[in-house]
Amino acid sequence: MKINGVAIVDTFAEAFTMRVARLVITGRTAKWAREAATKLTGFATSVIGCKCEAGIERELTAAETPDGRPGISVLFLTMDKTSLPEQLIVRVGQTVLTCPTTACFDGLPDAPDRLAVGKALRVFGDGFQASKVIGGKRYWRLPVMEGEFLVEETFGMLKGVGGGNFLILAADADAALAAAEAAVAAMTSLPGVILPFPGGVVRSGSKVGSKRYKSLVATTNDPFDPTLRAITQTELPEGVNSVLEIVLDGTDAPSIEAAMRAGISAACRPGVNSITAANFGGKLGPHHFHLRKIMSGVGA
Amino acid sequence: MSDAVTLSLGARPEHVLVADCIAADRFAGLDAKQIAALPVVHGGRPGTLGEFFKIRGERSSVVRIEGDLAQVDAIGAGMTGGELTIDGSVGRDLGLAMSGGRIDVRGNAGDNAGGALPGAARGMTGGEIIVRGNVGDEAGARMRRGMIAVTGDGGRGTGEGMIAGTVVVFGKAGPGAGRFLKRGSIVALGKIERPATFRYACTYRPPHVNLLLRYLRTDAGIPVTDRHTAGRYERYSGDLAELGKGEILQWAGE
Repeated sequence: MKINGVAIVDTFAEAFTMRVARLVITGRTAKWAREAATKLTGFATSVIGCKCEAGIERELTAAETPDGRPGISVLFLTMDKTSLPEQLIVRVGQTVLTCPTTACFDGLPDAPDRLAVGKALRVFGDGFQASKVIGGKRYWRLPVMEGEFLVEETFGMLKGVGGGNFLILAADADAALAAAEAAVAAMTSLPGVILPFPGGVVRSGSKVGSKRYKSLVATTNDPFDPTLRAITQTELPEGVNSVLEIVLDGTDAPSIEAAMRAGISAACRPGVNSITAANFGGKLGPHHFHLRKIMSGVGA
Repeated sequence: MSDAVTLSLGARPEHVLVADCIAADRFAGLDAKQIAALPVVHGGRPGTLGEFFKIRGERSSVVRIEGDLAQVDAIGAGMTGGELTIDGSVGRDLGLAMSGGRIDVRGNAGDNAGGALPGAARGMTGGEIIVRGNVGDEAGARMRRGMIAVTGDGGRGTGEGMIAGTVVVFGKAGPGAGRFLKRGSIVALGKIERPATFRYACTYRPPHVNLLLRYLRTDAGIPVTDRHTAGRYERYSGDLAELGKGEILQWAGE
């Protein structure tokens, strides 16, 4: 299968079930909502080192937020039920509570599993906090030096999908980067999906474990490293001199599929040799995103 | 089962009619005959609801009441859920000690709306009362939880002895509003006579008032203006003769 002359390898991306929460952060201006969201989702690229994965889903207009102010929708994922509230409490407490003018709302109100994030954060109020029930939802008002921080008592948690991916194999680093940027632009703001890595792109894709260091859980993906082509069992076709990976997390598999379709279509451009994906033989993750199936009907 | 139960008042009662049997959740399990047989007290004498109201529909927690109900007291007393809409003014003790659901009055309400039974420590403990008109004295007295919104004026002692919850008065609130308040909020969009035992804290834009007023606009259809939702409010803490953790939030402009 080829799209715009770019080969789509007959393989699949292997992804995992994760726990996901959606936070809606609002501010007096979009700038302040974004400041908080950027800090909240900082250092949250991979559960391997960050214990969580997070990213900005999209910007929200004033008409889309509970308090009629500009906002940002954020997705937040961890591997298990226990660590999601732990991470949220620490991070919201340090990055949203501290940020001028912001408020923090649940973006998954219909999810039956509830995480008591605002309920835990309320004690920052040192007994001066107060709660309000509005429209059946409880909110906590925390007095702060600026005025008040408003946070919803509970946040919904769903089973999400983490680790959707595709690799862009290109003739050179410039072509790989241009294709990756095009893919990210096409996927940005699609509902239910985040790209947790810097600018949405990963240059250091990893393999499981290490050939040399027993204690490491992930090390460089040497079959896809062009500089190691001559001394390792390479997976790179001839003419490929640079590889970039796009990693996607989302609320559900269809959202990931839709985003991969948009991203791969955009990445199929001059200078790109092929698009492939990372997997573990299908033994580790329950979600398999077959590239050719996803791209069927997009164009040969 | 029908979409709604409608009660239409026949002639205006000669005396005060205590109809504390009318509660939306209570009607959900009753047929029209059973609803008609519910007990009322008219001028101190026992009677039945069916003697005063024509009843249409059955087994629904969506209830509508029509007629001149100014002489009818205790509508929605002890209500735990459902929707009760009243087309007209009602008497005293509306939503007395209710704990859930919504009562929406398209008229005025008498004294002690959302209040407590005589001698009881707590008034309403949940739910919402919306009065699209004025309320009498002591609306929300000893309220523990829930919300009362009054689009007109409040009487004397609005929110007196509140333990928690919220009372919003769009018009002016009478003297003694918030007296003996422990916790809870009185949001005054008009003039309010504050007790001397409240102390000024600051002027700010309270985020929960914005949220609450937006909710009233979108969910209850009350025409709240942006200058109120996004406005500045003076915060007065009180009642300092009590716990002092309550507040009067008085609108102070855009």
